[in-house]
Amino acid sequence: MEKSKSPEESRKLLDKITFDLTRSIVKRDELTNFWYFFLIMFAAVGLWGWFIQIRDGLGVTGMRDYVSWGMYIANFVFFVAVSLIGFLLSSALHLLKINWAKPISRVAEQVAIAAVALAGIIIVMDMGRPDRLLNVFIHGRFASPILWDVTVVTTYLTISILLFYIPLIPDLALLRDKGTDDIPKWKMKVYTLLALGWKGSAEQYKLVYHAMRILMLLILPVGLSIHTVTSWLFAATLRSGWDTTILGPYFVAGAFVAGAAAVVIVMYAYRQRYNLKDYFEDLHFDYMGKLLVFVCLVYLYFNINEFLVPAYKMKTAEGIHLRNLFTGNFSVMFWLAQTFGLILPILLMLCKYFRKPLPLTIISVFVLIASWVKRYIIVIPTLEHPFLPVQNVPDHFKHYSPTSIEVMITLFSFMAALLIITVLAKMFPVITIWEYAEDKGIEKEIISEPKN
Amino acid sequence: MKTLGSIGAAGVVGGSSFLSSCSKVQTTSGDKIRLLTSSGELVEVDKEQLKPADMPSLTENQKRGRKGLPGRSWVMVIDLSKCRNARECMKGCQNHHQLRPEQHHINVLQMQDAEHTAPYYMPKPCQHCDNPPCTKVCPVNATFKREDGIVLIDNERCIGCRFCIAACPYSARVFNWFEPRDAEKYEGVTYNIEANVPQKKGTISKCLFSADRLRDGKLPTCVSSCPNGVYWFGDRNENAVTNGTTKETTSFSKLIKENAAYTLMEELGTKPRVYYLPPKDRAFPFQGEIEDHHS
Amino acid sequence: MIKKINLIFVAILFIAQQGMGQEWLVPEDQKTLKNPTEYNLSNVKKGKDLYLTNCKSCHGDAGKNNGLPLVPPPPDVTSDIMQANTEGELFYKITNGRGGMPQFGSTISEDDRWRLVNYIRNYNPANEPVLVEAPPQKAKLLASVNETEKKVEVFAEVEGNDGKFLVLANASVSISAKKAFGNLPIGEVLTNAEGRAEYAIPKDLIGDEQGLVNVVVSLGEGFVTDPVILDAAKVGQPKQVPKLIKKEVLWSTNENVQTWLLLSYLGAVGGAWLAIAYVVFQIFKIWRVGKQQE
Repeated sequence: MEKSKSPEESRKLLDKITFDLTRSIVKRDELTNFWYFFLIMFAAVGLWGWFIQIRDGLGVTGMRDYVSWGMYIANFVFFVAVSLIGFLLSSALHLLKINWAKPISRVAEQVAIAAVALAGIIIVMDMGRPDRLLNVFIHGRFASPILWDVTVVTTYLTISILLFYIPLIPDLALLRDKGTDDIPKWKMKVYTLLALGWKGSAEQYKLVYHAMRILMLLILPVGLSIHTVTSWLFAATLRSGWDTTILGPYFVAGAFVAGAAAVVIVMYAYRQRYNLKDYFEDLHFDYMGKLLVFVCLVYLYFNINEFLVPAYKMKTAEGIHLRNLFTGNFSVMFWLAQTFGLILPILLMLCKYFRKPLPLTIISVFVLIASWVKRYIIVIPTLEHPFLPVQNVPDHFKHYSPTSIEVMITLFSFMAALLIITVLAKMFPVITIWEYAEDKGIEKEIISEPKN
Repeated sequence: MKTLGSIGAAGVVGGSSFLSSCSKVQTTSGDKIRLLTSSGELVEVDKEQLKPADMPSLTENQKRGRKGLPGRSWVMVIDLSKCRNARECMKGCQNHHQLRPEQHHINVLQMQDAEHTAPYYMPKPCQHCDNPPCTKVCPVNATFKREDGIVLIDNERCIGCRFCIAACPYSARVFNWFEPRDAEKYEGVTYNIEANVPQKKGTISKCLFSADRLRDGKLPTCVSSCPNGVYWFGDRNENAVTNGTTKETTSFSKLIKENAAYTLMEELGTKPRVYYLPPKDRAFPFQGEIEDHHS
Repeated sequence: MIKKINLIFVAILFIAQQGMGQEWLVPEDQKTLKNPTEYNLSNVKKGKDLYLTNCKSCHGDAGKNNGLPLVPPPPDVTSDIMQANTEGELFYKITNGRGGMPQFGSTISEDDRWRLVNYIRNYNPANEPVLVEAPPQKAKLLASVNETEKKVEVFAEVEGNDGKFLVLANASVSISAKKAFGNLPIGEVLTNAEGRAEYAIPKDLIGDEQGLVNVVVSLGEGFVTDPVILDAAKVGQPKQVPKLIKKEVLWSTNENVQTWLLLSYLGAVGGAWLAIAYVVFQIFKIWRVGKQQE
């Protein structure tokens, strides 16, 4: 925290900060319209795909009786993974009093909310009978990992929304009180409503800190659970490639990689589009780069465990699975994902140059794509090689390849996630103003004083 | 008059149990009713011929289907030395359970355990495990184990998550990826949980040991359709199994002891209810061609 | 572990073709093989026993043309098709099988296979039959259960030439127990000179839950009589019905859910949602404090 400033200086600075951070809310140009049009159009195409799938049955996908989980489940795992970054950036680092992460925590929460919401939707889209979704609540079996997953996804979503909302309250009041006329009227109304009559009193701040602290503590076990339970959907089966005890931590480590990469990309987009060079500074990218290297190294460690140990033994079924990954049908995907998603990024990001905003963002794009591919080769190869031979079925039962409907629906999930992030960025400041201002030495009284 | 013919024929073959294995379809005219027989045929019968007690409602059907047959503990013994890949079991099964040609409740696999060992045919139904990995993971209890050992499915409950397919190490489960076979024909037919018919789009299916036939005192479809005496089926509690082809009944414990029976992948701890007699002294030579499966 | 084998359909096609179209050719040197066993009553009888266990299920009873309706149909042993074979041909076909006909080379010894040939030859018009099956006689069978001594007592009579029933001595009576799908043979006994027989039920015979057994008593072939069914005879061990679905198992319904699992689940979910509710309450308090300060 910087030294406190004189009231005059403070007011000036606060005005500047507010002006900069409301740019995302105010700005609306051709590009904004095009972006919305683009997202909504592709999302609509995906929904059309889902309609066809409901009408004709899940058979419109490439899944069949042997490979019965395909791109949807891989995509689901990917979104759950990405959502875990909210847990790391806005809770774990906060609790460890690591200050540089503060301005990034709202971005992390945006990403987390979008990802976990979509994860929930994707799993419904994967169901053969989405009309019977309520059966999960009416007839839910406590022993089923799916019930645990449904529970933990809804819990995590709720906590993420609260963790997004509570630090937002003072900001909403600030916008309500100091917002310029550029902000559309209806948005101001929303702010007034959601600000809950915030006065900025010490008592109210105390409540905010208290609630945030509880949420940060709560999200630790819940965040760990969401990804661990997701890994149990696989590890609870007897299949080779999934039947391993390290799948939980392996998934969690991989999730940090995917999430950190996603946050870097979103940060860079905000920095460029909303001109926030002074807020998402080079320093933040440097730290995020270091964080990404660190989680990548942890993930690499788990990868070595996950592949080296069974490969040393080559038990029959495991051997078939590993050969398939290393030299078989999936070897191209496997080695590309490992090289461009893990090994090269680690080597590059160890150099300071590659932790600069643009290079880091480019690396992050590779890492993010690779982590999607990684999910794909976690789900599909195992199912293509069950214990008993696949016989007396048509050839397309033996190998999985996604159909256009699956691509459409997967595209929908990406568009819908980006839409959620965009709407959140267009509605609310992308950095917590009051926290940021406080860090710059502005007193709370000044933040909450009404507009003169 | 065709209608009368089919009643007569069915009466001769199936006797009174024919009617009890039917489920109500819909009233077509004043006194005729359309029925679904256990072999999957639609017939028209006089209404008076039916006793209401023989046709439980859907809820009653589901209730008794979940209970199972009291005191029984069904087991199957498959004699691999007798199988010649005639596939009558597969055909009978697909008709009984209204399956598409690519859907198999029972699948005759061509197996070879190791590089130089002898290949053999292995009919593979659901193993009806006593520690079933599939019922363990079902989120809505749509697949469940009954007291008589059968693992059954309620496709009125299934949400189509396919976790059970992933969990089953025997690849015993099939899914209705599209509208099931003859969906229009069976529209409106009351669901029979013990045969899992009519099948439903977006739900799971698998071998049920023909639980509907067992209720009528008949052997499962595959067991009775086999021309080669491969299958033995019976109640483990009374230590007797009956061969579907020869109708010979023998002691279950003696049969599996004398022939060194084994269960499939017992190392997985699933405790199957299907026992295999090793393919020794084979009745038929192996006719297939072997190709490396995994590479 | 397991390798895949291809060309299933080719195999089926192969079998079908072989079965339906072509004649069953036997190598010349096999056709003329000589039967090393003698054509006598003992060998034919043994052949008959082998026939009953191995062949009857498809070929049916001799002379009744009641074989299984397969394609091609398994011919009756008395039929011309069957009898047109040389002894060598019959032996070759039994040994090697084809299509639906099993190969008995590995399961029946060479001598026994020749004995089967002898049995088939018993029905050849050119041969003097050594095993003559007399026309079935009408018989009466009475049976009762002695529950205290766990015995079945049998009395048999046979219709004489004059229509009067005479005591049936030295006849084989088989005892079996009804099971879910068939009768389980438990023993055989011969009637004595008075036409009576006693059979002690084995101690380990399993009945129903109360130990009740439906005992079926029948006369051997050659006699026309309905088997006597002794319903609910208390001669067996009570059937043990171990409870399959136990409490606290992971694979059963919520009723049998494991306590630790239920408590962990409810504890974790309840704890998390209580905390969430508490946080929501804090939000409410923020609103209330704001209101109070107005």
